[in-house]
Amino acid sequence: MPRMILACTVNDEPVEALIQPYQTLLDVLRDTIGLTGTKEGCGTGDCGACTVHLDGQPVCSCLVLAMQARGRAVRTIEGLAEGDALHPLQDAFVRFGAAQCGFCIPGVLMSAAALLAENPSPTEEEIRYGIAGNLCRCTGYTKMVDAISEVAGAAGGKA
Amino acid sequence: MAILTTREVKGVGFTIPRPDGADKVTGHTRYVADLNPPGLLHAKLLRSPHAHARIVRIDTSLAKALPGVRAVLTAADIPELHPNAKTRAHAIMAIDRVVFAGQPVAAVAADELAIAQEALDLIGVEYELLPVAVDALQSMQPGAPPVADAGTEADTSEALAHSGVAATESQDDSKAVNVAQQTRLSRGDVAAGFAESDVVIEHTYRIPMVHQGYIETHSVLAEWDSAGGLTIWTSTQGSFNTRSEVADVLGLPETRIKVVPMECGGGFGAKIRALCEPIAALLARATRRPVRYVMTRREELAAGMPAPRVVMRVKSGVKRDGTLMAIEAETILDSGAFAGAVLTLNGIFLASLYRWPSFEVRGVEVLTHKPSIAAYRAPTAPHTVFAIDSQMDRLARALGLDPAEYRLRHLIDEGDPMANGQPWQKNGARACLERMIEHPLWTGRAEWAASGGRDGRGLRGTGLAVGGWIPGIQPCSATIKLNPDGTLNVVTGQVDIAGTNVGLAQIAATAYGVDFEQVSIVTADTDSAPLAGLSAGSKVTYTMGAAVMAAARDAREQTFKIAADDLEAAPEDLEIVDGRVVVRGVPERSLSLADIGKKTNAFMSNVPPVLGVGSLGFSQQAPAFAAQLARIEVDPDTGLVVLHDFVAVQDVGKAINPLGIEGQMQGGAVQSLGIALTEELQFDDDGRLMNPSLLDYRKLTAADVPDIETIMVEVPAPAGPFGARGVGEPPIVPAPAAVANAIEDATGVRITELPLTPERVALALLARPSEDGLSA
Ligand code: FES
Ligand code: FES
Repeated sequence: MPRMILACTVNDEPVEALIQPYQTLLDVLRDTIGLTGTKEGCGTGDCGACTVHLDGQPVCSCLVLAMQARGRAVRTIEGLAEGDALHPLQDAFVRFGAAQCGFCIPGVLMSAAALLAENPSPTEEEIRYGIAGNLCRCTGYTKMVDAISEVAGAAGGKA
Repeated sequence: MAILTTREVKGVGFTIPRPDGADKVTGHTRYVADLNPPGLLHAKLLRSPHAHARIVRIDTSLAKALPGVRAVLTAADIPELHPNAKTRAHAIMAIDRVVFAGQPVAAVAADELAIAQEALDLIGVEYELLPVAVDALQSMQPGAPPVADAGTEADTSEALAHSGVAATESQDDSKAVNVAQQTRLSRGDVAAGFAESDVVIEHTYRIPMVHQGYIETHSVLAEWDSAGGLTIWTSTQGSFNTRSEVADVLGLPETRIKVVPMECGGGFGAKIRALCEPIAALLARATRRPVRYVMTRREELAAGMPAPRVVMRVKSGVKRDGTLMAIEAETILDSGAFAGAVLTLNGIFLASLYRWPSFEVRGVEVLTHKPSIAAYRAPTAPHTVFAIDSQMDRLARALGLDPAEYRLRHLIDEGDPMANGQPWQKNGARACLERMIEHPLWTGRAEWAASGGRDGRGLRGTGLAVGGWIPGIQPCSATIKLNPDGTLNVVTGQVDIAGTNVGLAQIAATAYGVDFEQVSIVTADTDSAPLAGLSAGSKVTYTMGAAVMAAARDAREQTFKIAADDLEAAPEDLEIVDGRVVVRGVPERSLSLADIGKKTNAFMSNVPPVLGVGSLGFSQQAPAFAAQLARIEVDPDTGLVVLHDFVAVQDVGKAINPLGIEGQMQGGAVQSLGIALTEELQFDDDGRLMNPSLLDYRKLTAADVPDIETIMVEVPAPAGPFGARGVGEPPIVPAPAAVANAIEDATGVRITELPLTPERVALALLARPSEDGLSA
């Protein structure tokens, strides 16, 4: 198949890449652009490890054709921190010990960041549903939920 | 053993976030699939769609002709392959017969993954279908279709990796065609015990195959150098074990292989065996290029190495006053197409978690035409405890006794004999249960039950269970060096799959006498690290912790020796305070650790560098127990079980890093709840997996579970570093029993088959009042 040019922004930087039209956004981010922080756990939209933001909305990048990102803004885990300082969610995840093997963590953080952007003061139940699309096998979710709750409590009213 | 530090340092017992946390939350941690060396090729395996078939012919010519394809391999291209493969790792590819759906029959390496995938479609395989044995009960009958080639022996190396507890008897005679292993443990007169019993309860417990469920699938990258050396970057639970297995499978000396353990994105027992390393190495050899193979999730579920299906018939008899009389049990363990189950511990926990005066437990490992099994976190212990704890709960209810008190009355303690005759070592089984019994969710269970079934609420109940594991042991070694700036480096070959490195750094800090910030720890590859065992069997802190502690004390002694010369004092009179070696009581006579480190690295200096070495073997295992409590609500119409609260109590010996242990307890509990509630690999009559996706193989999400409350008790392990015991496996054990007990508490119905799905619960409720299994 003839290759196509994908032009979009990734983590606020303009990107142009020559890609196959059948490639997923996940594959292009990881293999073409070299941003390997986004993970593949299933490739079928069931685990959430590949979650990125597309124009601010969380999507499973394994289910998005890369060409669907044309002209749009992609944000990945590498672009969550602002400058050198960790994003408050990242900082809380470190302090709470929310990351074990870490493989699910980029996806969980992107889902959590999208949740807080839309709902700065979620209840515990809203947090749990907000990351319910992200499977984690190591942590049992307790520390993640606690970490997100702390950030939400600091940002808005405590749920 | 007394620790010689004279002042409290920040080390053992402190809650410390993992130092690798920042890399993990920013996406910088590198896993195998993130490696992208120049010239990288991508591998794909063609897998049999049939569970049992003869391979008549394979035609790879079209695939080989596809542009971008660099190699296509079948069994005919692999001289290292032998019939009667010893283990699943040795069975790189089916030779002339496939024995499970998903078994590899050909492998491709290509420039792009999409090309490799296309090549698979171009490989023609002609199969002659053979009858299948999918169910273990059928497979063990005479005349059943054979799974292993004649002469295949049970592989017990994995069982030994998890626990060195030996069976007193292992029966090798009378092997039916697909019976890989039989065990029998007995004591006393079981028939008389039942004859004298007032109450006899018999149930059959069934637990399906479940998958370990790590989010990173098996991944490996292999490359050869021009001198014939092989480097393997892999997601493994034991780099030296991987090296040995690959050497054995490929017939290479171990020195020719370097295994670089990458960050492991979850293993839970499934990343012990070299499942993918050999084929990646062979493709790399054939192409003289680096080759990466990453299993798809579908491959993981259909052709990974899940936990066995287990069926246990358990009969137990007691006196009216509750006195235990006899237990008799039969376990059938379905290992899929290759043997390797931990059968003995099943018998030990069935027969001797409680003090049965007479018992007879038999176990059979059966092969079937399904993917072969591996360990899964305390292999088969959740299954075993589901059976024995359910029995104890039922007995207590039948006798009208408090179920927790009843367990406590009969639960083992240090010195009680295990079913194999060895004594139970000191453990915290009773301490865990005693602590749980005081919990307000247990003391308040009557109010919880009474609040259910009205005002639109479902039926409410509370259940607890106690169970555990006998963690493994394995020799290991570590080094520690003092740097010229006074900091310390620990080097081990131990893969950190559970946050153990931070705990090891804390042990080194306390044993040497500095704060943990002064200690860095690295997991080196097999060329650079001293030997280390598997990161499995809940033994990293227990064994490698002891080696690191020994290395740190060795380094401390060497440091004192150097300082003693300089300070003109006896080494015994020295202590370390705030990074300085000080003559006790004479604070002005001191030398900083940096000064000492510099002396050992200065040009023309004659002071030898400080290099502490810890190299240990072990003989004493330390049993590790947990108690868990589930407070639930059952929708009587749909059968849905909602978890309201969950409490985990665990004996950790000594909490080296409470934060990491909490994470183990919570993660293990939710895996355990998955076994209890939702997880099942479902095979059809032809042996094909019916649910090969994470949509249909349901793991629990954050929305399915409550906060997991954690309570640690500390019953020191005599040989553990600072008294620590293994903590990884116990938390996956009790929950299935606890939830089943809670369901009976809520509904009066006992369910003996997992998972406790809404359909199963609803059907059981419809069948109420159930046959209660009571006799006498
Ligand atoms: S990799 Fe996209 S959802 Fe699993
Ligand atoms: S931290 Fe391992 S899967 Fe979430």
